[in-house]
Amino acid sequence: MPQPVPLYIVTSPRPRTGKTLLARLLMEFFLACRRPLVGFDLNPRDPGLAERFRSLVWPVDISETRGQMGLFDRLIADTASTKVIDLGYGPFDQFFAVVREIGFVAEARRRQIEPIVLFLTDSTASTVRSYGELQSRIGATFVPVHNESVSLMFAKEDFPPTRAECGVIRIPRLSPIVRGVIDRPSFSFNAHMANMSGGPNEVHEWIGNVYAELRDLELRLLLGRLTSNLRGAPTPPAKHKGGRAR
Amino acid sequence: MAKPTVVVVGADKGGVGKTTVARTLLDYFTAHHIPTRAFDTESPKGTLKRFHPDISDIVDATSVPDQMRIFDTLSTTDASVTVIDVRAGLLSPTLRSLRDIGFLDAVKKGQLTFVVFHILGSSIASLNEIEDTSSFLGDSKYFLVKNFINNTSFFEWDQATHASYFRKFKDAVEITIPKLNEMAFEQVELASVPFLTFVANKGPKQEPANYSFVLRGYVRHWLGNVWGEYDRIKLNEIVAAGSAAPAAGPRVQVVSRS
Repeated sequence: MPQPVPLYIVTSPRPRTGKTLLARLLMEFFLACRRPLVGFDLNPRDPGLAERFRSLVWPVDISETRGQMGLFDRLIADTASTKVIDLGYGPFDQFFAVVREIGFVAEARRRQIEPIVLFLTDSTASTVRSYGELQSRIGATFVPVHNESVSLMFAKEDFPPTRAECGVIRIPRLSPIVRGVIDRPSFSFNAHMANMSGGPNEVHEWIGNVYAELRDLELRLLLGRLTSNLRGAPTPPAKHKGGRAR
Repeated sequence: MAKPTVVVVGADKGGVGKTTVARTLLDYFTAHHIPTRAFDTESPKGTLKRFHPDISDIVDATSVPDQMRIFDTLSTTDASVTVIDVRAGLLSPTLRSLRDIGFLDAVKKGQLTFVVFHILGSSIASLNEIEDTSSFLGDSKYFLVKNFINNTSFFEWDQATHASYFRKFKDAVEITIPKLNEMAFEQVELASVPFLTFVANKGPKQEPANYSFVLRGYVRHWLGNVWGEYDRIKLNEIVAAGSAAPAAGPRVQVVSRS
């Protein structure tokens, strides 16, 4: 049975939560895996992801219908490539409104594309509410991401994953030194990992930890699908109950 | 013989979206497997016929031979529903003709089901039209359609004026047609196919087409909302009550309403 091709939507309703950083990590992780890959940068004012991956990432402005066609028509036409979307807080509401209105998730699944929302969490009530509402309305797989640089504490009950096996992605806290290194425009995670001439350092360890989290997520998703197939049932997204896990 | 249904879509003003509403009705009846024919009175051009060529004919509603083509065949046609898209300015004259030929009497006697969709413009003149039109419509199902598809804002209607008019016509039911994404509307126009065919990604001869998924999604969602309005007024039952079509037939839903 062919496995669905993942479509990762990296998002948060708030600024400065590490969306583009996670999208960069995903891009380089899949490049290292030598997968066919394409990305979309939905931050028309500051397309940081598109500037770093000029041949792989398309900047898209979805405020216009033409831009929406440029994004969603391409997403469903390409059933072979893993896809990464960096969805900024600006077009956040409009993106999910369009997804819902055009029936995107159902069509994507029909074409063996699995939308997975990597939702960067924070401790504000509006983010918690937004997570719960979207999870119940959109029908995609939601995986919470705890970026320790944004908030030290993570309340699991506020951000239940759509399926138990998805768990939570943890991005370890960055020291200012590491942050300074990885934010350089020319910095590449994979190039840095390939060069350990001076022995592993804090940056290597940090990248290794995040890549391990991403590898774990892919394995958990695969395991969930296999388990579900063995049971002979599809994997329906669980309903979010009142924004809190029981 | 089943009781035929005549559905008239009209307005005395142009550019309010009569043909668009007629198209949504034809799609609705198609989806409910209700045999339907249509007459496009935009003679000699005919916009409705461009979208529904197989079931539409262009007629001149003011000519007696064409009136005979429509009304003398009501009891002999296979179609249980006849939709008439009345060109701008001809709604009141058409209703007057229907009265004169005894059609409205037949409705009164229960021999025919008569449904009128009166598409309203944004001006006060549209409210005055209601008064003119409603005087003919004692035994018909009369629906007042606020059509937002072409971004009408109904700016001249203040609450008090609106209420005073609508109080007079207690039997009239209001329907709202929501706005459709402009590019999606334009693409359906270019494709010259029914909305339903566009959603199914088919061409005029049912061949596979390559319309944008986004635009098809917008049309599907919008059509679902329009049909939601038709379901709300129980249009299927109104028509089925007069025809051989089953009242509780398979219900085709484009998309659930949000």
